[in-house]
Amino acid sequence: MVELDHSFSTGKSPEYNWEAILDLDRIIPCVEGGKVIERESPKLAKAEIKVKMGAMSMTFRGTVEVVERDDDAHRAVLQVKSKDVGGQGYANADVAFTLSDGGGDIHTAAQINGKAASMGEGVVFSVLDALINDFTTKLAKI
Amino acid sequence: MGLDTGTHTLGPGDGTLTVLTGKGGAAAKAGHNLVIEVTRWSAKVEVGEGISMALMADPRSLRVVDGSGGISPLGDEEKEGIKQTIDDEVLKGLPIRFRSSAVNPAGSRLDVQGELELMRVRHPIEFALNIADDGRLTGSAMVKQTDWKMKPFSALFGTLKVADVVEVTIDALIPAVSPVAERHG
Repeated sequence: MVELDHSFSTGKSPEYNWEAILDLDRIIPCVEGGKVIERESPKLAKAEIKVKMGAMSMTFRGTVEVVERDDDAHRAVLQVKSKDVGGQGYANADVAFTLSDGGGDIHTAAQINGKAASMGEGVVFSVLDALINDFTTKLAKI
Repeated sequence: MGLDTGTHTLGPGDGTLTVLTGKGGAAAKAGHNLVIEVTRWSAKVEVGEGISMALMADPRSLRVVDGSGGISPLGDEEKEGIKQTIDDEVLKGLPIRFRSSAVNPAGSRLDVQGELELMRVRHPIEFALNIADDGRLTGSAMVKQTDWKMKPFSALFGTLKVADVVEVTIDALIPAVSPVAERHG
């Protein structure tokens, strides 16, 4: 398990941000290489992420689901469950958003195995950290 | 060093010009060390009172021949992908030219100074070559990309990078003086 904390700023109201992060069609493409394959319900989407590693790339396909939602506290947890397409690995994560005025905090708890994990936990941490940092810059423009 | 006076012209039929790249960054383990062959190039070695050298390489002729490291082996598709990346994002088809300004022989060794043009930037470079008695030319030059204002290629949000310094090696048999050059020499 790898755990990371990040914050983001949009300069917009918590109400606006709350609506945005719960809209899976908007938030999933904020992950570089991420796209919605099918929106199954307001809180569940089939999705995939293609992670480019120079010449190589890995595609993870699965679901993103809003599994916790506290409208008063503006706190939500999005659960990612995905499998490495063409491999044996998986990448799962619980991504908790806690909004504040103009932005919010993100706590990510991720479990990765297979080829990606074979690089070592330190590498996985660095890549996830960079991926989420990139995600927060895209969130700022959501 | 047994080079006849005149102009010796050489190219891929005479040997190989190869680029060796390393990798860096937090996710370096995910990347490959690459062996890239330049498949179209031409060089001239002019031997008179002194020696001068010039080389031109086709920036769209690089071909990945091997890759080591990484989390899985490089297949043909990945090699082709790297070639495309080199063409589109790294060298962009811009001319690659080297011309010597000084070549100092020391036994079988040649200390070469000159200027290399990459990405429309000219920058001095120095390297040593060896010429064996049978005319075999070997040696390598270290090219620090940022000296040519190039940004080393990176992926995975900057956690995987091609090392700034790449090694360019040559291993070729210098042919006899070309008849054309002799006539004009």
